Amino acid sequence: MRAPAIIEAKAVSKWYGQFHALKDINLTVRKGERIVICGPSGSGKSTLIRCFNRLEAHQVGDIVINGVALHGKMTNAAVRSNVGMVFQHFNLFPHMTVLMNCMAGPMWVKGVSAANARKTALRFLERVRIPEQANKFPIQLSGGQQQRVAIARSLCMEPAVMLFDEPTSALDPEMVSEVLETMTGLARDGITMVCVTHEMGFARAVADRVIFMDAGQIVEEGTPDEFFSRPRHDRTKLFLSQILKH
Amino acid sequence: MTFWNRRHVTIAAVALALGAYRAHAGAVLDRVMAAGTLKVATDANWAPQSFVNASNELDGFDVDVAKAIGKHLGVKVEFITPGWDIITAGHWAGRWDMHAGSMTPTKKRAEIFDFPAVYYYTPAAVAVHKDSKAKTLADLDGKVVGATSTSTFEAYAKKDLTLDAAGAPPFEYKLNPKEVHSYENSTTAFDDLRLGNGVRLDAVVSSLPSILDAEKAGYPIKQVGDPVFYEPLAIAIERGDPELSAKIADAVKAMKEDGTLSNLSEKWYGQDYSKTN
Amino acid sequence: MLYPDTVEAEILVHKPWFVATMFGVVLLLFMAFNMSGTSFAELMRPVIGEPSVSGLYGRFAIAFAIAVIFTLNVVLIGFAPLKFQIGIVWLELLLLFIAFFETFHLSLPFIREKLPFLISQGVVTTLYVSAISIVIASVIAVAGAVAKLSNNGFAFAIASFYTSFFRGLPLLMQVYLIYLGLPQLGFVINAVPAGILALSLCYGAYMTEIFRSGIQSIDRGQWEASRSMGFGFALTMRRIILPQALPVIIPPTGNQFISMLKDSSLVSVIGVWELMFLARTLGQKTFQHMEMLISAAMIYWMLSICLELIQSRIERHYHRSKVR
Repeated sequence: MRAPAIIEAKAVSKWYGQFHALKDINLTVRKGERIVICGPSGSGKSTLIRCFNRLEAHQVGDIVINGVALHGKMTNAAVRSNVGMVFQHFNLFPHMTVLMNCMAGPMWVKGVSAANARKTALRFLERVRIPEQANKFPIQLSGGQQQRVAIARSLCMEPAVMLFDEPTSALDPEMVSEVLETMTGLARDGITMVCVTHEMGFARAVADRVIFMDAGQIVEEGTPDEFFSRPRHDRTKLFLSQILKH
Repeated sequence: MTFWNRRHVTIAAVALALGAYRAHAGAVLDRVMAAGTLKVATDANWAPQSFVNASNELDGFDVDVAKAIGKHLGVKVEFITPGWDIITAGHWAGRWDMHAGSMTPTKKRAEIFDFPAVYYYTPAAVAVHKDSKAKTLADLDGKVVGATSTSTFEAYAKKDLTLDAAGAPPFEYKLNPKEVHSYENSTTAFDDLRLGNGVRLDAVVSSLPSILDAEKAGYPIKQVGDPVFYEPLAIAIERGDPELSAKIADAVKAMKEDGTLSNLSEKWYGQDYSKTN
Repeated sequence: MLYPDTVEAEILVHKPWFVATMFGVVLLLFMAFNMSGTSFAELMRPVIGEPSVSGLYGRFAIAFAIAVIFTLNVVLIGFAPLKFQIGIVWLELLLLFIAFFETFHLSLPFIREKLPFLISQGVVTTLYVSAISIVIASVIAVAGAVAKLSNNGFAFAIASFYTSFFRGLPLLMQVYLIYLGLPQLGFVINAVPAGILALSLCYGAYMTEIFRSGIQSIDRGQWEASRSMGFGFALTMRRIILPQALPVIIPPTGNQFISMLKDSSLVSVIGVWELMFLARTLGQKTFQHMEMLISAAMIYWMLSICLELIQSRIERHYHRSKVR
């Protein structure tokens, strides 16, 4: 039996004014799957995953997240707590301690008691291997540490799927690996994830499927092996040659 | 145009825009008797008519007169001290019942107020700096004169005074100033005069009592010429309550007859201003 | 303080051309005044003889002495370390002010006699009128800022009309409108509530704009992060945006508080016995109003200083999460 679908996007299109940002996107992500989306900048990959938790609204087509349909007019934002999001610039709450950043969601959205929220928060901080920073403020942490806190913060809501929007692009090179290791750890634990990234090594090691987007369309998708060894489309080949040159 | 003068214009505009407000016949008297308190508006800044005394309470001729009226009505008296402009704008809205603040009963004011009784007369006079060479009022022709904004003194200086109240003695314009400066009260005018003869002002038109008081307090000023006019000064209430008006008129009449007013005038001014002579 | 540069410029007040210019300007300035009647001239008597007949020479000598003292003072202060400089300059300015007030020949016993009433009646009224107004104005400001940023046409229209109207009218006019106008609609309110209402509405309008810009200064990412956590609007506002906007909001709001403290004196026109009213009233009978005005001025100043201190305290508190 196939695992149930967590994300189902059918014929999704989106425009910014005249600009056609997403063109007829079809994508299904099943429970436990690890998807990497790559493509040149401006190809629509960030827009796509921002549509999955309704930070952006699409105009045409259907998106269903964990059984909740996200089209038309939305009046309830509760679906968002089903979807964890990790941003390029972390977006931690700078006026709260690391611990409080992680406790806030469960306490204020789910009504979890402070003691339980604290327990959960510490568990996930442990998992991203920075429990000792719990009482610091975000600005006192390095970029890599901050991003790991951001990951822990999302995990505390125990979402059905984690979305990563270029989580390592804003980091200094020496901090990239600690974040990737954390993400690899999550992948190994079977967490469903959709990851927009340029880290091809990570894609090769972790992804079940790699999706290549260009100009708002999904150009090609396949296993890492197919994707990296036998790309079919010229645009994919061009992209790969550009980023794997070094 | 001074700040205070402009303020007066805005007040008038606001009052005009809001339309007239009238008390209902007998309503104010009923309220006063029911509450057992007569709320009296007066100035807190106009010694010796009304001022805050050494024990930080209102005191003065007007205050004593108001208390005496209260005694005649058999009620307590409570004082409120809104700005003069606010009082003369009308629309008291029951915030106070009576004004005991030496108001001159002009015809214009009579459109908004009733004046139950004139309770004394103030001689208005002209003060100059001690160093001034002026001997008569004619010597002040073409000079700069100060007066309290919207007062009869200002109106006199601007030759715009109508003393149309009953019993007001006739008068002549003997002052021909070049400019008239308006002040918030007579003290600020005296302050400008004391700076020196002609520095900001050459003369101030004010009540004789306040001129004498300032002189006594060491202001380098002196009266010049005779009093220019005698200003009848009345108790004011909002129009439309003849019962209250009659009660106050009775009270003042009785106070005139039994010498209360004369005594109070002697106490505060050293002379009897309760009649003209 | 500005971000300090480790390449230091030469101290300005030690540059010869600056010292010379300063000396010249002060000399000319005091030459222009006839100082022969002052106590300083009395001090110079051994040099210039009888001050009133010393003529041009006396004038020059006095101005020269003052210029020397002034220049020497500035040059010497230039050598002192920063904290000293600040302290000394404050002290000197303060002394100059005291000397200025001295010229009024104030009666200290009168001030001492009236001070208790000035405080128990005037300061207390001023403070509670301002304090209540500040609280109401802050509440209005939050609501107004949210309304001005909302997509709701009604809310935006009302909020923008409100800020435009109450920022556009002189506060004094508002006091009159509320005190004289509301009774026409059947609401007879007393002087104190009318004053509080006017102050709250006026300052609420100014602070709406401050709060709005504070809220807008918060990075879009904070909204996105909050939304992606499933926080609703009110929760995001209260827990995420406003706490971060406060450090931006507080300095200008502190300004507003200080200026409100002083503008509360406008309610004296409707007969509220607050500090300004008493200052203008108490000395009248005995013509000692300069005493009262100066006392009130000093009291206002001290109250403002208290507010300044509170403001810097709060600013330091919010600085905490920005320190590495």
